[in-house]
Amino acid sequence: MVFQLVPLLQEVWLSFTKTTLLNPNLNVWVGMANFQSVLANPSFRQTLLTTVIYVAACVVGSVGLGLLVALLLNGRFPGRAVARSLVTVPWAAPGIAVALIATWMFNPQFGILTRTLRGMGIDPGPNGVLNNPQLALGAILVTTIWQLVPFVAVVLLSALQGVPQELVEAAQVDGAGRWMTFRVVTWQVLKPTIGLVAVLMTIWSLRRFELIWLMTRGGPLGSTRTLVIDLYAQAFESKQLGTAAAIGMVGVVIAMIVIIGGRLVANAAAKEA
Amino acid sequence: MGAGTLAGCSSEPQGSSATPQQATITFAASTLGDPGRGPGLQKLIDEYNSSQHVVTVQPASVPYPTFGQTVLTQMGGGEGPDLVRFDMPEFSTAASSGLLEPLDDKIDAQKLKLIPGPDKYLTVDEHRYGVIFENSNYGMFYNKDLIPQAPKTFEEFVQTAKNTTKGDVYGLAFRQTQAEEAGVWQDIFNYVLGFGGDWSDGGKLTIDSPKVIEGLKAYQQLYDANVIPKGADAATFRKMFANGKVGMELNNGGYVTATKSANANLNFSVARIPFPEKKQGALLAPITINANSKHKDAALDFINWLLKPDQQVKLQEVLGASSVATPTERSAESLQKFPFLPVLDELTESGVPQIVKGFGPQTADIRHIVVSQVLAALQGQQDMATAMEKAQKQAEELVGR
Repeated sequence: MVFQLVPLLQEVWLSFTKTTLLNPNLNVWVGMANFQSVLANPSFRQTLLTTVIYVAACVVGSVGLGLLVALLLNGRFPGRAVARSLVTVPWAAPGIAVALIATWMFNPQFGILTRTLRGMGIDPGPNGVLNNPQLALGAILVTTIWQLVPFVAVVLLSALQGVPQELVEAAQVDGAGRWMTFRVVTWQVLKPTIGLVAVLMTIWSLRRFELIWLMTRGGPLGSTRTLVIDLYAQAFESKQLGTAAAIGMVGVVIAMIVIIGGRLVANAAAKEA
Repeated sequence: MGAGTLAGCSSEPQGSSATPQQATITFAASTLGDPGRGPGLQKLIDEYNSSQHVVTVQPASVPYPTFGQTVLTQMGGGEGPDLVRFDMPEFSTAASSGLLEPLDDKIDAQKLKLIPGPDKYLTVDEHRYGVIFENSNYGMFYNKDLIPQAPKTFEEFVQTAKNTTKGDVYGLAFRQTQAEEAGVWQDIFNYVLGFGGDWSDGGKLTIDSPKVIEGLKAYQQLYDANVIPKGADAATFRKMFANGKVGMELNNGGYVTATKSANANLNFSVARIPFPEKKQGALLAPITINANSKHKDAALDFINWLLKPDQQVKLQEVLGASSVATPTERSAESLQKFPFLPVLDELTESGVPQIVKGFGPQTADIRHIVVSQVLAALQGQQDMATAMEKAQKQAEELVGR
């Protein structure tokens, strides 16, 4: 508890002071000034919007696709064991490696994904997806979701193993079809796990740095600049630790809202069950 | 230069009567972690340590990507290494924040024969805060098999790039993505300077001045000519250059050794960047004394030792194609290996550090604004003049003048 609280309290304190990287001992109390300057900045509002879009899309995409993959892997087919092992590879890959692979796949001239997009009639322009302000966030999202899906799939697959087979059979005896069986039996068992995974995905997406930094550095024109990228830039490029801490606190508040919201939803689901 | 005034002391401090006390001091330099040059620098430090028994220099290797923030944070907290080899943006930040020891009365530039061109950039608010440790000039690297005759004018440069681009071979390569913001800044710096522009006049930002726009339009002209491997990062296109897939690139002398290491058989040379003005970027790296150091005289002793002619020759050998603080002859061996080294050395006087003059500590923020707008112009979202008008406005808001 101490290990968790002390750094957090330090950050809270920093966010109310004028502290710079060049003078970490400054600690001049400025009250809400850092928060006021951050929230009054139009580019920060854009950053906040980008963060919300990024997090929401990551959660929906990874949980949705993860569930689909888990259901597929839960079925019986030849080579299932191999498929279950292989599916975890993207999750096991280091973020830096994933960013480099994705950057190469989105390369404007040689990238296989760029060529695929062109083949589908989507022209990212001569400079490619990662240099296009309209498409760069999409590319980051695709890469992030690709990396997250295996984790979600494995967690949900283990939850699927816990679905009582007798309940499934009973539902089928009662004439329930596949969809109905999934809705009234499987979904009810999966709901708490999906809630937990969704909260985890939200927090991880809020914190994600290396993938975005390496692929676009928050560009082009700030179109992929999320809270964490902004925080890094303020702390280590502008060297304003107080302002960076204020941005960090905004992130902490969002994370707390998600956790508390997730708890409330989970409790409501438990009562329903 | 003779022996030191104190028995066992290695040097005569220039203008400083203080003699060092017995001390162990630390010297932080990202060069120490460089696999090609680190061991050579370590050897030089060992030589200093064994040359006398008063001062011991301990090397502190901090990785390049985190060097600035690590050392600046330590210094800001009242600690840090005694001696620091800084890159220019961090140097100007540290100097203007009072983290460096002024060397006005300790370094006699004339007596030491310091090269005035780069040396003038080590004065901040009329105080000297360092001495050049390394100066790496930007030149035009070109593959002699693809381009037998180096272009001499910008028009020839464009034409050569176009003529060389065939199939999977590109005439030119430079950085052009936000992910390589610092690299884009280094690249466009050469175009802006080469066309007579500058980001500021020292007191006022001049980002939207006609000369700056002209330089950036030249950069865009080459981008639009489809003569570069678009989307390829520096690591990729440098490999391509080493493998004969890129004809030309603007790079600093520090990469000569790395290029040769990547392909020992590569037939390449370096010429002056063929832009109208003989002015180009330079990676200046001064050696400085931490204002918090408890052994400033010992630190100064090492600097004075390093500035002696013999040591300057050895340091230049260690650093490869970079030049050092004083005019230093190249060895016959290195000239045989790289006949073009005098070309790079000749650029020392016209090299400009890649900071915004008068706004050094805010360079990173200004860089972000400028590069974002330049890349938006490359995307065709706006013309270069509009891009620079926006950048000027945003940067003025940032610096508050």
